[in-house]
Amino acid sequence: MTTALLEKSWIESVIKEEEITKYMDNGKDFINDEEIWEKLKNNENSEPSRVREIMAKSLSIETLEPDETAALLNVKDPELWEEIFETARQIKKKVYDNRIVTFAPLYLGNLCVNNCLYCGFRRDNHVIKRRVLTFEEIERETEVLAGQIGHKRLIISLGEHPRTSVHYITKALETIYSVKVPTKRGYGQIRRVNVNAAPMSIEDLKKLKEVGIGTYQVFQETYHHETYANVHPEGTLKHNYQWRLYCHHRALEAGVDDVGLGVLFGLYDWRFEVMALLYHSRDLEKKFGIGPHTISFPRLEPAANTPFIQESKYKVSDEDFKKLIAVIRLSVPYTGMILTAREPAHVRREIIASGMITQTDASTRIGIGAYSDRYTEQELERQQFQIGDPRSLDEVVRELAEMGYITSFCTAGYRCGRTGERIMTLLKTGKEGIFCKLNAVLTFREWLDDFASEQTKAAGERIIQQEIEELKEKVPPKVFDNLLEYYRRIQNGERDLYF
Amino acid sequence: MEKGICISNDLTKKLNEIADFVKQKYGAHIWFVEILGKRHSYIAGHREDSFLPPEVVYLNERYAIVSNEWEKIHEKDEILLKVKSLLGEQK
Repeated sequence: MTTALLEKSWIESVIKEEEITKYMDNGKDFINDEEIWEKLKNNENSEPSRVREIMAKSLSIETLEPDETAALLNVKDPELWEEIFETARQIKKKVYDNRIVTFAPLYLGNLCVNNCLYCGFRRDNHVIKRRVLTFEEIERETEVLAGQIGHKRLIISLGEHPRTSVHYITKALETIYSVKVPTKRGYGQIRRVNVNAAPMSIEDLKKLKEVGIGTYQVFQETYHHETYANVHPEGTLKHNYQWRLYCHHRALEAGVDDVGLGVLFGLYDWRFEVMALLYHSRDLEKKFGIGPHTISFPRLEPAANTPFIQESKYKVSDEDFKKLIAVIRLSVPYTGMILTAREPAHVRREIIASGMITQTDASTRIGIGAYSDRYTEQELERQQFQIGDPRSLDEVVRELAEMGYITSFCTAGYRCGRTGERIMTLLKTGKEGIFCKLNAVLTFREWLDDFASEQTKAAGERIIQQEIEELKEKVPPKVFDNLLEYYRRIQNGERDLYF
Repeated sequence: MEKGICISNDLTKKLNEIADFVKQKYGAHIWFVEILGKRHSYIAGHREDSFLPPEVVYLNERYAIVSNEWEKIHEKDEILLKVKSLLGEQK
């Protein structure tokens, strides 16, 4: 059989209709475009008192109703928006405390059978240099990420293609987890690998589960049915809206109990998309008792030979970007929220300072093989898009410390059963924040000793002492004694101790 | 909707009963996990926590019990045996 025929036959085997319809209610999916617009219209001009009631509900870590999110999205008064931002900050602090988790994306391959109008990796974009990393190359990339930069958490990313389907991904995960690199005082290792990949069947998702996947992250890109159909051309796998929409349902059914949602903001109206993210979260909660582990909100960025991006009429301004992040924070208050290096440094600085987000990436290279190649300039022909903030992890950690945040490299939760319904309970009761704080101190200590520059170490020492002082007041004496014992052991070169 | 993981509702129910017994008798939290590479996925047991470091006791290649209050549980060995026998019945 020729390569083209093999590819065609693979494409035809991917989508399992029965793994879509089984989740639908009366043959319909949970995104009703008309209903969303109606809710947005019906909740214009809410009284400030109602908006404040909604804020209070969010602060008690309850998922909002669609009407409530619609009311927030319709707020016009700048002073009320300031109150919303402040509430978003308080929610994040209550659920996750003062830490920001960092990670790195690792692009494994850019072969893709899809042809999405906004994507640099689309099938017909012939200016892109196509490449799939070998497992030896993945090992080399991991050695740089874990041994030289100091990351503990990765998200692997790749196009949809038979060469990089589930068998390749499972072997890639095993390869990454097997790498252990000596460092100044201990050793470096990737402890959690999240996966950003195409929608899969339950059978394939079980294979990812078997090799210890972290979060399974799939972005719907746009929830608006018509726009979705337009930007994902007919005849491609990604054209199937519902196969994508229900992939998190399939993941949860397969036992992968951390799933990540997201929208590519700029494809359609941002208010509609925020409403849809809420509907998606609520459907997962309703059917599985588990909502999204994270929500991401990337904005369209320039990509090689991709004019669609410049032409989009739905681009989100910086001002609206901050608003949409705040409304997501209030609508799904327990969820982790990821701001990436797609955004330029000044935007990241402002959003991080507002205290709403929980995770960010740094030392980001999105070219295939770009970490071990050590190129410093961005090369669009081997990237999916152009990143806005290429600063090193050391610089980002230092800036976070100067802003009063502790960088966390914690990956403890999913290695001791704080997953699924258990993590949901701990998040909703505000208890997970204690673990976040304890493990941030321990993992930050490791990173400062193994990887920090002198300047970053100085800033880091100040924040770590401040966190330890806060913990002394916050946790029972026995827990605090345990923290100090673990802290000393880490200073002496032990690694990977956690609560 | 149920998860498609290979754990029956009956087993989950029995594991929850054991966790409740331990909580009632010793005031300690335990929870059960399925081991998948580095991932230890929660399958049953308590959702509360005492914030102490978790100690994982492996039952077999697939399952483990986690607690941060093992020192409170005087019948640890008996409980481990009971759970192992329950898991054996599932094969």
